[in-house]
Amino acid sequence: MNKAEIYEFLTSRNKQKKKSRTPARLDAIQSATGAILALFIVFHLIFESSILLGKEAMYRLTKFFEADFIFEGGEPLIISALAFVVFVVFVLHALIAMRKFPASYREYRRYQTHRHLLVHNDTNLWFIQITTGFMMFFLGSIHLYTMMMQPSKIGPFASADRIFSDGMWPMYLMLLVSVVLHAGIGVYRLIIKWGVFDGVQPQQNRLLAKKIIKWLIVFYLALGAVSLVTYIKIGYEHQEHYGERYHKGVKE
Amino acid sequence: MKIIYTDALIVGGGLAGLRSAIAVRDKGLETIVLSMVPVKRSHSAAAQGGMQASLGNATKGEGDNEDVHFADTVKGSDWGCDQEVARMFVTTAPKAIRELASWGVPWTRIKKGDREVIINGQKETITERDEAHGLINARDFGGTKKWRTCYTADATGHTMLYAVANEALKRNIEIRDRKEAISIIHEGDRCLGVVVRDLISGELCAYVAKGTMIATGGYGRIYKQSTNAIICKGIGTAMALQTGIVQLGNMEAVQFHPTPIVPSGILLTEGCRGDGGVLRDKDGYRFMPDYEPEKKELASRDVVSRRMVEHIRKGKGVSSPYGDHLWLDISILGREHIEKNLRDIQDISITFNGIDPADEGSKGWMPVLPMQHYSMGGIRVKPTGESTTMRGLFSAGEAACWDLHGFNRLGGNSVSEAVVAGMIVGEYFADYCKNTHLQSHTETIQNALEGQYEYLKTILTYNGSHNIFAIKEQMRNVMQEKVGIFRNGKDLNEAVVELEILLKQTREITVNDKSMGNNPELNEAYRVPMMLKLALCVAKGALERTESRGAHYREDFPKRDDANWLKRTIATWQNHEDTVPTLSYEEISIDTMELPPAFRGYGRKDALIPHPFTQNRETQIEKLKEQMGDVDRFEIQEALMPFELPNGYKDKNERIGEKNG
Amino acid sequence: MGDALNQKENQEQTFRTIEISVFRYNPYSKHSKPRFETYSLSETPSMTLYIALSKIWATMDHHVSFDFVCRAGICGSCAMVINGKPRLACKTRTEEFLDGKITLMPLPTFKHIKDLQVDTGSWMNAMSQKVESWIHTKEKTDISKIEKRVEPDVAQAVFELDRCIECGICLASCSTRIMRESFIGAVGLSRVARFAIDPHDERTDADYYELVGDDDGIFGCMSLMGCEDHCPKELPLQTKIAYMRRKLVSQAIKS
Ligand SMILES: Cc1cc2nc3c(=O)[nH]c(=O)nc-3n(C[C@H](O)[C@H](O)[C@H](O)COP(=O)(O)OP(=O)(O)OC[C@H]3O[C@@H](n4cnc5c(N)ncnc54)[C@H](O)[C@@H]3O)c2cc1C
Ligand code: HEM
Ligand code: SF4
Ligand code: FES
Repeated sequence: MNKAEIYEFLTSRNKQKKKSRTPARLDAIQSATGAILALFIVFHLIFESSILLGKEAMYRLTKFFEADFIFEGGEPLIISALAFVVFVVFVLHALIAMRKFPASYREYRRYQTHRHLLVHNDTNLWFIQITTGFMMFFLGSIHLYTMMMQPSKIGPFASADRIFSDGMWPMYLMLLVSVVLHAGIGVYRLIIKWGVFDGVQPQQNRLLAKKIIKWLIVFYLALGAVSLVTYIKIGYEHQEHYGERYHKGVKE
Repeated sequence: MKIIYTDALIVGGGLAGLRSAIAVRDKGLETIVLSMVPVKRSHSAAAQGGMQASLGNATKGEGDNEDVHFADTVKGSDWGCDQEVARMFVTTAPKAIRELASWGVPWTRIKKGDREVIINGQKETITERDEAHGLINARDFGGTKKWRTCYTADATGHTMLYAVANEALKRNIEIRDRKEAISIIHEGDRCLGVVVRDLISGELCAYVAKGTMIATGGYGRIYKQSTNAIICKGIGTAMALQTGIVQLGNMEAVQFHPTPIVPSGILLTEGCRGDGGVLRDKDGYRFMPDYEPEKKELASRDVVSRRMVEHIRKGKGVSSPYGDHLWLDISILGREHIEKNLRDIQDISITFNGIDPADEGSKGWMPVLPMQHYSMGGIRVKPTGESTTMRGLFSAGEAACWDLHGFNRLGGNSVSEAVVAGMIVGEYFADYCKNTHLQSHTETIQNALEGQYEYLKTILTYNGSHNIFAIKEQMRNVMQEKVGIFRNGKDLNEAVVELEILLKQTREITVNDKSMGNNPELNEAYRVPMMLKLALCVAKGALERTESRGAHYREDFPKRDDANWLKRTIATWQNHEDTVPTLSYEEISIDTMELPPAFRGYGRKDALIPHPFTQNRETQIEKLKEQMGDVDRFEIQEALMPFELPNGYKDKNERIGEKNG
Repeated sequence: MGDALNQKENQEQTFRTIEISVFRYNPYSKHSKPRFETYSLSETPSMTLYIALSKIWATMDHHVSFDFVCRAGICGSCAMVINGKPRLACKTRTEEFLDGKITLMPLPTFKHIKDLQVDTGSWMNAMSQKVESWIHTKEKTDISKIEKRVEPDVAQAVFELDRCIECGICLASCSTRIMRESFIGAVGLSRVARFAIDPHDERTDADYYELVGDDDGIFGCMSLMGCEDHCPKELPLQTKIAYMRRKLVSQAIKS
């Protein structure tokens, strides 16, 4: 075993008798990965809602991401790769953020009792954050795994079939709620954690940030829900033709 | 029951106690500080207004120096103070504040250029000098010639206390809180330590040391209405009194503050008036200029308090369910000023009364009434801080009668005293501890411990009809009504008699909870008799003193009588069974005074019976000055009244724009 | 005690009755069991919990224990949990509770002494020692010379943080601290910030990293803002914790 590690294990100090810099890095990485994921979700949900503009729009967008302007007919592996990158960031984030979960039943109980006594919004938000984070362990993994393994099955009908006929819509609904809440609250937390918008009136700015985030959450939840319903509708209408793919100009 | 040994023992963790502890620790002695409450919660934290030190940085403080501060202090004391101590104090105060600055107290600093202030209710522009930029600022406070009161917004005592406490922690000084000293262990006239009750477990323990210092603060809570914290019960002072040997000085000298808020008694700092706030009566009329044309709201505290009561007696008070009161108006200072410099005041007023003092007009006026504020009296000590009659027992801060304040202390002089005494007395105390050997007195110590244990046990066995809480309330009422701002022989006589009865009744109570542990009922049962003894010293001292001086005002003897009363009241409690203290007097000699008695410059001019020697001393001084010719102020001072200071504290204080330092 | 307020009672006015439930328990006594004791008393104008509790103590139950020192909101002794919220009892007026029901509990996360008393003092001293809450400098000050100059605004900024009264409310309102009792909390972190902006202190970011650069310190904070929202002195905790975080993270990245 590495001597340096043993020393640190025994003294809580590194070779130079200094505190480890890792906690600082972890803190930064946790926030950075969170921010990246949040940014990703912001666009992801928008792109996904392209279905609201019609199947053609969604199809074109999908193909665009498969880079059909370079590869004839698009290259789904690009999506695979993209999903993989997101997955790595996702795993990294989850791994680091997990440190913050209540580590024992005692901690969990103490948190719960305290929260119920205190009745404090930001403290309650954290409960939502860890709950949704925990849910995403599974939901996010399933989704990302699918995207990595079956990147070609993205499209107005393929997606709709998955959502409706494969019975995935409950999962997507939960994922949607989790991810939007989690990302929204997470970004709010990032803002106060690093003092992004402190300005001269940090208290007011915090309230403002909270308000804006709240409306963004509402917007994205609505957007996501409407998109999901649209997919369900398409899936429902398309169930007879399960498995058939969408092509440019297909008759409705 | 344990016995703990140390080099130096300090009872009390306020500014005085902690600063002394640092002095002792820096000489390499093992030091323990005991405190009833966590030290940072000591009452010193409550000082809002500021600390006096003649830095002369601010424009309005230009020309200030030790001499001016000295004269203000002596006048303020109504010539009751020890002038040598006053000299020691004013010389060290600038050093104290500079030391505190280096320890991180964020003193409010001067910004060069123009600044708008309010003086006597009028807006005025003052220009701060360029060379003063970034130096410690000062504000105006009652009874001072120059703006000399340095401050950190309105949390001066708090920031000072935290800095000093942190320095104590840095030096690994052993601080033990929730420990209450209840009795002094002594063998004859030599102090060995104290018996201490742990306020968590109730356990008794003896702390034995080469030297013991009492820095337990004031005893304001013997009054019904007081600005003092509720722990200011004078237990430290009372336990010294109970030795029968230790002398208390000038216990009747009790200061009343003009502007605590009604009804809670929370102090609105003098800074309110210093910054330009004014007092108004029921008609909204500013009445102080009529009484005190020169100093107006900023005459010394005793004067302002009395004028207020006088005005109320003329029927000009605002009536309220809590009795008549007057108004304090700071709204004229403007919201910005209030929110920046008097924020705590605003906070207090909004929280406790629902009034925002920054609101314009009468809406923002705060109800105020004079209440007990400061205890000038205390354990009588020599200039070194050692008890006049008990070896190895020192005292500093508000608990002591070092006698810096005489019969009236100036605002801002007491946190200053606490720190300065900590420096000076701490130094002498350290020397004493260094040069003393701890001999074995095990038997005395054991006896003292057991004696206290038995005493507490006895209290638990009392089986009488009286209630200790009721006794306490009665004591506080008696003090308020009969030993208050205006005093007279008849009331004082009654007060003494009533207090004696109450004292006897403290042995005719029943304590329901028989636990020797954490028992708040037992706490009261042993504290109230101690408080009553102090109350008796105050009342008896006031009764005997047939003159008016400083805060002690006798309606039946309205004049300051230097001919008969230029002396300090000394109280002792001779026998355990006594119900009144024994009084004696200590002459204050005019022959050695640097500043012979005169009119204070405020209050009534005619109210003075001069001492026959005054004239003598004045001529003497004139002559001496003439003989010495053209020498600097330090030489003259040295010739008039030589004094000593330890540890380089006598070095000349540097000031901007002052040549010879 | 009740000061002038007591006088009011003799008047004809009728006041509503309030009910105060107090947590009672003495961990040092074998016989004591945790329980709530409820007291009914008539409310007087501008009554604070200090006045109410003192009255209960003096006239109803001599054995209930609680801590007050300044009764003016400046010493930090009387922090307790009032209807779920950690607050200073002496600054809390009873009229604020419209249904007249008030439940009092001792401050959590500190060692319980008895009833409403907790030991904040020892913890705060240990904290002060842990973050070395004093000026570090090699400079020797000659106290008879003119003091070091400080920009007025800087002094003011230091003062803002120096106003902390070590009441412990920030810890009691912090879920992080409730879960992990080794966490130093806003009081410790803001204390470090206080010295970091004080020009008298010569410590560097690397020095501060050694004091609070771990998960018990700045990286343990999860920005739940309980501290910021409950601090009775309204210290700028949110911004100053963020400030320390930025400082120490960039220190770590640079090193
Ligand atoms: C509201 C208010 C405002 C004030 N404002 C100013 C101001 O602006 N400027 C100014 O100069 N002065 C001011 N003063 C006065 C000044 O604050 C005090 O005189 C000074 O702080 C006293 O300091 P001290 O160290 O002597 O005592 P304290 O700070 O009172 O400390 C006493 C210590 O003794 C301990 N103690 C007491 N009894 C016992 C015992 N039996 N056993 C063990 N420990 C014990 C206590 O726990 C405490 O630690 C103000 C006072 C009040 C009431
Ligand atoms: C397995 C999935 C996930 C888990 C377990 C998880 C967990 C957590 C936890 C516990 C926190 C709080 C950390 C703290 O308070 O310091 C957090 C913060 C955050 N999360 Fe996640 N998360 C997951 C996925 C995501 C995803 C998919 C996103 C993006 C949409 C995201 C965005 C964020 C953000 C922005 C923060 C704030 C970062 C910070 O406070 O430093 N997380 N996450
Ligand atoms: S930071 Fe605020 S809440 Fe925390 S101890 Fe200090 S004053 Fe109390
Ligand atoms: S008693 Fe001092 S803050 Fe409440």
